[in-house]
Amino acid sequence: MLFHWFSLHRMMAVSGRLSALIDRLRHGKVEPAPALSEEELLAAIQEVTAAEFSDFEKETADAVPDPGASSNVPGASSASRDEAPLLAPTRTTGEHLLFLLGLVLGGALAAGLGSWHGEFAIRSEQFSKLSGESGLLSSGLLLFGGICVGFGTRMAGGCTSGHGLCGTSRLQPGSLLATASFFGAGIATSFALGALL
Amino acid sequence: MKIPFFTALTGALLGFSLSKIGFSSWDQVHSMFVFADFRLLATFIFAAVILLVSWKLIARTTGARWTPRKVHPGTVGGGVMFGVGWAVSGACPSIALVQLGEGQLAAVLTLGGMFLGNWLYSVLHERLFRWSAQGCSDD
Repeated sequence: MLFHWFSLHRMMAVSGRLSALIDRLRHGKVEPAPALSEEELLAAIQEVTAAEFSDFEKETADAVPDPGASSNVPGASSASRDEAPLLAPTRTTGEHLLFLLGLVLGGALAAGLGSWHGEFAIRSEQFSKLSGESGLLSSGLLLFGGICVGFGTRMAGGCTSGHGLCGTSRLQPGSLLATASFFGAGIATSFALGALL
Repeated sequence: MKIPFFTALTGALLGFSLSKIGFSSWDQVHSMFVFADFRLLATFIFAAVILLVSWKLIARTTGARWTPRKVHPGTVGGGVMFGVGWAVSGACPSIALVQLGEGQLAAVLTLGGMFLGNWLYSVLHERLFRWSAQGCSDD
């Protein structure tokens, strides 16, 4: 998380990357509509130029003056929260894919590349008990669960990393409430499932 | 080249840690939710506390300020729905990918579901709502 902040200057969050991919699929490439004043635009251009030609963090961090335009808070322009911010390099689809693939790779490394084996299943005693012998039921459960996760994370605006860790550790009200909601629901659902086991 | 490199690296670090800790195991996540095993929860809380202290330090030394993450109409409903899905599938977004990496290939269904759910929501939201769900990594 901290590594992410220091190297990429953003909060680490995962469901947002899924959302970005979906948006790209739905809308194709869109140019972010700049809603910046002239000086903000100028600052943005300077920022990008500096990034292009020199050591990004050092230059802009030292260049100080205006706390409002601090390079440590990319996209701090109050004008556009939702549009891709021009003060930080816009994240590309490629980057999102890289992160997500990184997750896959991390899992593979943890499992051990030498002894890697794959199977079309979820390695869990409890889940297997829940779905019984039925491949259809287990597939259905995973699909249903996945849909809920996808739908819910987009609606709430974040998942365990974004809201759960980055948000709550900064005591953000939206994140605290979201985290409480999903942990609460997770707990309740698990108890309900437990009754079925 | 830096951004793609660090992006991939952070993803890998996260995936590796999540797997090692046990978040990609349906059984362990379930145990966490029913309070049968506190290890995962403790790890989560520990991480959050470390971050809390770190952000304060960072804010103090660099003057960084965060965009406030407010409560919005989708916060609770979305959170609840996510929680249900997490308990049933055993996975939150990153986990589905980690599971694939580990070889739990049925997670492709979970992942497919996530894309589908995300898509469904974005369509619904555009047609019905005016508020912004505010992505977590906007700052």
